Amino acid sequence: MTTIQQPRILGAGVDRVDGPLKVTGQARYPNDVNLPGMAYAAVVRSTIPSGRIRRMDTTAAEKSAGVLEVITHENADHLGEAPATFIKNPQPPLQDDVIRYYGQYVAVVVADTQQNATAAAGLIEVEYDRHEALLDLHDPRAERIKDPWGEDTAWGDVRTALNRAPVVIDQTYTTSENTNNPLGLFTTLAAWDGDTLTLHDSNQWPNMIQQVVAAMFGVPTDAVRVLTPFVGGGFGAGLRCWSHIPLAVMAARHVGRPVKLELTRPEMFTGLGHRTGSVNWIRLGATRDGRLTAIEHESLTTLPLDGDEYEPCSSVSTWSYASPNVTARDQQVRLNIPWTNFMRAPGDAQGNFALESAIDELAWEVGLDPLEIRLLNYAEVDPKTGRPWSSNALRQCLEVGARRFGWSERNPEIRSMRDGHELVGYGVAGVSFFWYQQPCSAKVIVRGDGSAYVRSAVTDIGTGTYTIMAQLAAGLLGLEVEQVEMQLGDSSMPVGTAAGGSGLTAALGSAVHDACGRLIQKFVDLAGTDPFSPLANVPFEDVSVSEGRLFRRGEPTRGESLARILAVHGLTELSADGNSTPNSPDELGMTPAGARGARFVEVRVDEDLGRIRVARIVTVNDGGRILNEKLARSQILGGTVGGVGMALFEDTVTDKDTGRIANATFGDYLIPVNADIPDVHTEFVGEADAFNPIGVKGVGEIGLVGVAPAIANGVFHATGKRIRSLPITMDELLD
Amino acid sequence: MREFRYERPTTVAEAIRAVAHDPEADFLAGGTTEVDLMKDGVLHPDLLVDITRLPLRGVRRNGTMLQVGALTTMEELAADHTLAERAPFVVEALLRGASVQLRNMATIGGNLLQRTRCRYFRDPAVPACNKREPGSGCEAVNSVARMHAILGASPACIALHASDLAVPLVALDAVVHIESEEGERLVPLTQFYLMPGETPDRENVLRHGELITAIDIPLPPEGTRSLYLKIRDRASYEFALTSAAVAVIMDGAVIKDARVAMGGIGTIPWRGFEAEEVLREAPATPETFRSAADGTIRDPFLVPGTAFKVELAKRTLIRALTEVTS
Repeated sequence: MTTIQQPRILGAGVDRVDGPLKVTGQARYPNDVNLPGMAYAAVVRSTIPSGRIRRMDTTAAEKSAGVLEVITHENADHLGEAPATFIKNPQPPLQDDVIRYYGQYVAVVVADTQQNATAAAGLIEVEYDRHEALLDLHDPRAERIKDPWGEDTAWGDVRTALNRAPVVIDQTYTTSENTNNPLGLFTTLAAWDGDTLTLHDSNQWPNMIQQVVAAMFGVPTDAVRVLTPFVGGGFGAGLRCWSHIPLAVMAARHVGRPVKLELTRPEMFTGLGHRTGSVNWIRLGATRDGRLTAIEHESLTTLPLDGDEYEPCSSVSTWSYASPNVTARDQQVRLNIPWTNFMRAPGDAQGNFALESAIDELAWEVGLDPLEIRLLNYAEVDPKTGRPWSSNALRQCLEVGARRFGWSERNPEIRSMRDGHELVGYGVAGVSFFWYQQPCSAKVIVRGDGSAYVRSAVTDIGTGTYTIMAQLAAGLLGLEVEQVEMQLGDSSMPVGTAAGGSGLTAALGSAVHDACGRLIQKFVDLAGTDPFSPLANVPFEDVSVSEGRLFRRGEPTRGESLARILAVHGLTELSADGNSTPNSPDELGMTPAGARGARFVEVRVDEDLGRIRVARIVTVNDGGRILNEKLARSQILGGTVGGVGMALFEDTVTDKDTGRIANATFGDYLIPVNADIPDVHTEFVGEADAFNPIGVKGVGEIGLVGVAPAIANGVFHATGKRIRSLPITMDELLD
Repeated sequence: MREFRYERPTTVAEAIRAVAHDPEADFLAGGTTEVDLMKDGVLHPDLLVDITRLPLRGVRRNGTMLQVGALTTMEELAADHTLAERAPFVVEALLRGASVQLRNMATIGGNLLQRTRCRYFRDPAVPACNKREPGSGCEAVNSVARMHAILGASPACIALHASDLAVPLVALDAVVHIESEEGERLVPLTQFYLMPGETPDRENVLRHGELITAIDIPLPPEGTRSLYLKIRDRASYEFALTSAAVAVIMDGAVIKDARVAMGGIGTIPWRGFEAEEVLREAPATPETFRSAADGTIRDPFLVPGTAFKVELAKRTLIRALTEVTS
């Protein structure tokens, strides 16, 4: 790929290419799509957490105005099992009378209008035989799963190191359950045509939805087409094939019409999973001057009875700091709760809160500046393997952030800074985010007029994938961004991976990079067959591309435009497929590093009332090469807001007896409002990452991580109170 | 769809007649409570009588009284200059409630009648709620939650009265004009709301078919200082954890007269008569304020999540008094 000159458009803060469509309402989200003859579905959810359905009376619902069909476990189609995909999915709904959590779907009503469907759903009477439910994380009867992913890690001898350490921090940190709450209500519009199915669906992974639905309904994978060109946010909520999707598909088959099922906000709380709460037990051993000698991190998180979740909270402790002795272990507890699920920075968000709080406690214990202790224990190489990082600018994040924030101007004593009624505190946290990448593919096509289009089945959940991939392809093909048309969010396009795990930019970008390289090769080969071409006899390695033209490097006049090459050969277009698979750390001899970051916050705590305010945030991140600074900054800002929510507000409350989520509305589940968010300064540092050909590290999630511990650490500096559980609320700060 | 009838009369008499003769009829004004609760399946009126076309809108000065038409919106009242000058804490309470969008729809009469935000009342899937289904019990009292009432509560109901506006209005002895087929009656706001007792479904003295037409707000004497302090987790768009409405007339460092009411803590907007007694003719000192606060928050009814509100409420009042007297 040395033939392609350094792309010139990369990094520019190009406006979203899909922006005009979105602000003019022309972008069609799944719930905007309507089809002729469409019917509407409404779900009925269980109101007990555990037991069996004894009796259901659907008579009134069936007689209700406009009702076409009522489906319960008694007349539901028998569906195939959810296949074993990379991410485990819920088994098909309505297959038995067993209730596993409050909010489980027990019926779906189809009617001619949404209002009729909703009203009829309210007429269904369900009687249950209620069984005792497991709802408490610490319930000894609940199944505990040790080392759930075979990833428990240990090196050195933590036990001995802790016994010998002159300084030990031994604390427990807990985080609350959070709910993803994308603004767009998840919708599935299912339309059968014979044995083929089209789904307009809110999700983050069209190919996975396609695969699961096809298996459940016993049709070939390519008989199912999933269209997700736009999604109203996901934050991880769209990474599974949730039960409302097969419900809509089944309903459409029953009534022989397209069926639209749009979840309500309360249904979003039970139907799309939520971030597991966590208990993190951390023991740090250190020398008197603050050098880590041991890290022991154990976590406990929750699982639904029939689910699966990857939430390795302890893993951050295996890569964040240099320590010769480390143990990291995770456990999960199965409960009668709605699914726990990925939410922006799963595992890391909780584990980082614990680790960065503990590191802060260590700093105060040994009398070291909380910034200095992080620099002192910086992991120059991967502490587990000793391999070099593919890139790691954590040190720079901390140093640059400290300068921007004015960290050195603080009075290091606790309760030393005051402004009227308010105690002022400064807090810092470092972030070492996980690395994740999956295989992905894309097709790139150059048309007769020299413009291009890029296709992949992946979707853009609002992060800016459309824009950065257009920029990337434009740079690689020597075109303007406007000359590249993007086509995403269609499972019939080249197979793509999830918009999740901060891994899509590297995965799709590497596939686009591969496709563009192959396409240029094809153009060069084609030109080579034309003896009159200025590029005849120019070897591929010597060809550069710019302004839609191929030319011999160093000799810009000796070249030919892509359009002309097509015309000369009588072609209307030329295309190439590109694929990416993650590189092997063994082969490259390096450890792929996810994004890195540092957070600096100023918090103010009203001493009498306990009221907390975040006054200032500086967030500096290493995302490798930043393809579009404006959109990357948006990701960091959004993540920061989520981090403030996690720190101060967000708490999905479950009633302890019934398992009902008690605050499943936007009035009751608090997320930050504008007035809660202060001035946020963002900055990017670092260099192109060496692990993938385009040098990127995803930044979709890291912005959230580290905000909560930085706030908690600031609260400690302000008040002298160490809050080890999230969210931090005023009742904990009232004396 | 669940059907209901809808009428939009143009005279007060017609509106009252329409509701009075249909036991399943409700008045509809801004709809910010009624429509929400209908959608949630908590309220099921057979007839909605839309009163928004009735001539009950606007604010009139009447001597030392401000007469506010029941259909005046929250934003309209918040923009009233006399109120801003003479009783700014009423304006502060209005503007700290809801959001601009809601305040443009919500009316003053409706604000006084807004239903509790209790999560157990608002979800019909919860079987036990004495306010929603008399005699069914109270689920909230067995749950951990921080937004419930600590004063006026009982094992039958701990639902909080959510209005910010009602707090300074009870402090000012506002009077409610109530119209019915029998004619008009006037009820002081301090006697308008009912403690839950054994009948939490009865929240006020209104009888079916009675309509609030206006609220009289007595203007405090010139020179009165007032303040509404609202404490909540986030900076806006949230109901109060605690709030205090205080108005004082000062003579140097001595409080000549005081009005005190608190929100976020009571099953009704909580008038602090005891605090007023402590404050009257007392020096404006921390000791006085603490004593006023202790007098207001007495015999609280607590559940695990609300215990902190006792001290928070006291400090809220102390802070409000400190600021308004300094």
